Amino acid sequence: MKKTLWLLAALASGVALAQTKTVTGYDSLGVVIGKPGGTLTLALSSAPQTFFYYGAIDNAGSTIANQLFEGLIEYNLANYKIEPALATSWTITGGSKIYTFKLRQGVKWSDGQPFTADDVVFTYTQAVANPEAKGGDPGNFAGVKVEKVDASTVRFTLPKPAPAFIQYMRLPILPKHKLLSFSQEAGKPAAEINNAWPTNVDPKEVVGTGAFRLVSYTPGQKVTLERNPNYWKKDAAGTPLPYLDRLEYLVIPDSQAQVAQFLAGNLGQLNITGTDFPTLKQREVSGAPIRVVQFRALFGSPPHLAFNYDDKNPELAKLFKETGFRLAIQSAVNRKRIIDDVYNGLAELPGNGVAPISEWYYNTTKLLGDFDLKAASAALDKLGLKRGPDGIRLLPSGKPLEFTLTYGSNSSTFSAIATIIQNDLKSIGVKADLQGVLTSNLLSTGRGKDWDAIILGFGDQPDPELRTPIWKPGGALYYWHQSTMPLKEGDPPQFNNFLPWEKEIYDIWDKAASTTNFTERKALYDRWQAIFARQAMVIMIAKANAVGAVSTKYGNYIYDLGVIPGYYPVPLMYQK
Amino acid sequence: MWVFLLKRVLIAIPTLLLISVLVFAVIQLQPGGFLENMLDDPRVSRQTVEHIRAQYGLDQPVWAQYLNWLKNIVLHGDFGFSFLNNRPVSGLIWERMGWTVLLAVLTILATWAIAIPLGIYTAIHRRGLAATLANLVGYFGLATPDFLVALLLIYAVLSLGGTNVGGLFSPQYIDAPWSWAKLRDMLGHLWIPLIVIGLEGVAGLMRQMRANLLDVLNQDYIRTARSKGLAERVVLWKHAVRNAINPMISIAGLSLPNLISSTIIASIVLNLPTIGPFLYQSLLDKDQYVVMALLMLSALLLMVGNLLADLTLAWADPRIRYE
Repeated sequence: MKKTLWLLAALASGVALAQTKTVTGYDSLGVVIGKPGGTLTLALSSAPQTFFYYGAIDNAGSTIANQLFEGLIEYNLANYKIEPALATSWTITGGSKIYTFKLRQGVKWSDGQPFTADDVVFTYTQAVANPEAKGGDPGNFAGVKVEKVDASTVRFTLPKPAPAFIQYMRLPILPKHKLLSFSQEAGKPAAEINNAWPTNVDPKEVVGTGAFRLVSYTPGQKVTLERNPNYWKKDAAGTPLPYLDRLEYLVIPDSQAQVAQFLAGNLGQLNITGTDFPTLKQREVSGAPIRVVQFRALFGSPPHLAFNYDDKNPELAKLFKETGFRLAIQSAVNRKRIIDDVYNGLAELPGNGVAPISEWYYNTTKLLGDFDLKAASAALDKLGLKRGPDGIRLLPSGKPLEFTLTYGSNSSTFSAIATIIQNDLKSIGVKADLQGVLTSNLLSTGRGKDWDAIILGFGDQPDPELRTPIWKPGGALYYWHQSTMPLKEGDPPQFNNFLPWEKEIYDIWDKAASTTNFTERKALYDRWQAIFARQAMVIMIAKANAVGAVSTKYGNYIYDLGVIPGYYPVPLMYQK
Repeated sequence: MWVFLLKRVLIAIPTLLLISVLVFAVIQLQPGGFLENMLDDPRVSRQTVEHIRAQYGLDQPVWAQYLNWLKNIVLHGDFGFSFLNNRPVSGLIWERMGWTVLLAVLTILATWAIAIPLGIYTAIHRRGLAATLANLVGYFGLATPDFLVALLLIYAVLSLGGTNVGGLFSPQYIDAPWSWAKLRDMLGHLWIPLIVIGLEGVAGLMRQMRANLLDVLNQDYIRTARSKGLAERVVLWKHAVRNAINPMISIAGLSLPNLISSTIIASIVLNLPTIGPFLYQSLLDKDQYVVMALLMLSALLLMVGNLLADLTLAWADPRIRYE
């Protein structure tokens, strides 16, 4: 009897000590039981700007943050479904407006302090919802009430149902005991939070619940992390994760220099593009100790070709607004050649606003049409655009059909696509003049007025709702038809400038945003994808596969963009 | 002499001011902005962008931004802060200054130590095989862009199975404390940047020195010295080289701003932790106060270098005197 009691007590305290998460079920991705120890070196394309996740929109900083912090939930690595992370379970009640999360018991920060509901409330109220935090998300948390119910329960109360709200629970939770002094809660101005954890901070201050903890940062050169002994995940055999003792990042801005460092054995793994693929694959085949692996990826930005519906030239604007014109151009976009030549075959036909691997995908392949220059030519003839003496088609005013095609000049992918499109357009009597701008300036160019056609890419996300500003007419990134945008911040969009199908899409998105049933939402988004494809709202070009190269020294490699919160395979990697 | 010095310093102030206005204006002319790019992240809304614009003071008119920047320098010695890093510019520059200066000093020393003797040698032995060979290497160095040399060297190292393909250290030594092993590792990496950055300099300086010396060797006073019966060694070193070296001093002064702005592309290709790539990235990101600080530093170095060159000339050549 005494013994049983003792056992029960031990069991109870054991539960209180550590509620671990066992990571299993990735056989399909080739994951096996690994071996503890070892060091992995990865590359960063820029130096981190801060170690405070909500202090900047910064790829390097987010990549590091993914190793140091965890969110309440995370993605399944194989199917992108949502799984428990720092929260073990949750309920959605009150007409889909109340989210209650049960937190994992016994989790400790890397400095030994207990992780509690206070940290969650602090993170969401003081950082995420803070309008002055440069990397915050106040837009999606406006009016959301975050409360601690007890030490291990947190409740979010929404002003109205938001079906994709659960996606925002991937955001990293930060330690209140280290950051309180920068917050409004401690009486500081709202913007003060951005000054937390600059790159010259004492590494011991940067405390997380992630698989690794910060050891040192050598400015502009290297970030060193080591295994967090307090981490709460283990593998199927019960071995605590991560397997690796150390994780190092070298700052190498130039992609060619990254490939050189990888080939020299100084980097253990590298994300590459289709362009680098032939060289690296050739080396693999000829016996170099590397493996080049490709995955169909959800994340990543598929390029599209957009026309400016509000072009400064009214004749062009009228033409660009016509679905018939865009469809004609679409039949002149040689997707197959682009996939073969530009991506070296490592891409697939694109979805319309949704990645083909996503559960939200509606198969639009048929609606994308075939590459057919004759049909394109005939369609333009039908629009009354007759060829002039030099073969260039003429607008009704008699001026040639000529426009600029803006593309990212420092991206080998974008420049190659632009050239292919330009050539094919020429053969159907449409003159596109290439205009290269820096890739980093593409979006601001698109959001301006000085362009006719542009090649641009937006990142795919696991839930269409997250991309509302792009695909819902009148949104901040609905840049190809800017006259739909509200005149003033907070106003409704300018409905009088909507095209009939744009209104239809707008209504679909409105409805989807307040529908919580998955099947109903899926049906709505399916309709939107079909309209998108049928109208060729923008012409989607291709969806690249994710390609990574990894040294054969390492096992359990799963491709990882690095910057996506909640998609986090590194703890599974091990050194053979 | 002191009056001359004071005059030069006083003239430098309005010149720097004028440069700062120009640079600021040019930065504003650059299209695009990194704030817009943030919108692609699903976390960022239009309001966030507006808030950040206000935090940075970018919602104010350009002239107000400029005056504010100037005021902070004069009153507080504060050169502004980096938008991207949310930290004062001075600290960021300081962090990268060490390696930049070390690399620059090493390459300048190496360049001069090789180029001047070679220049003298090729001027004296104009038709020898060695001189022809040196000239050939010189032409090659002048004609090949430094980043191409860098890529070729990296390729060569990789083909030979080497691992030192960029940076100053192997990964494990970057944040290790100093030791003999670390020093050895650095020397194993250092030769590539020294060759890449130095080759063009050697070629240019060598040809300059050669031309100067050939000029001087044809002068009357050299003939006079020879006909007086002076030893050829004395003629060469005391009369010819002594005069031929003067223009080189001016060149040396002008090379001071290279600390910051030269070899940007080579540094990116070789992944060197210097200021060049930092300036390049800041220009792309329109991180305006970082760009301002670095370009002003560059302008200042040019002026200081010029002044130093003038002073050195006066010291080296008794014919030059400033009143």
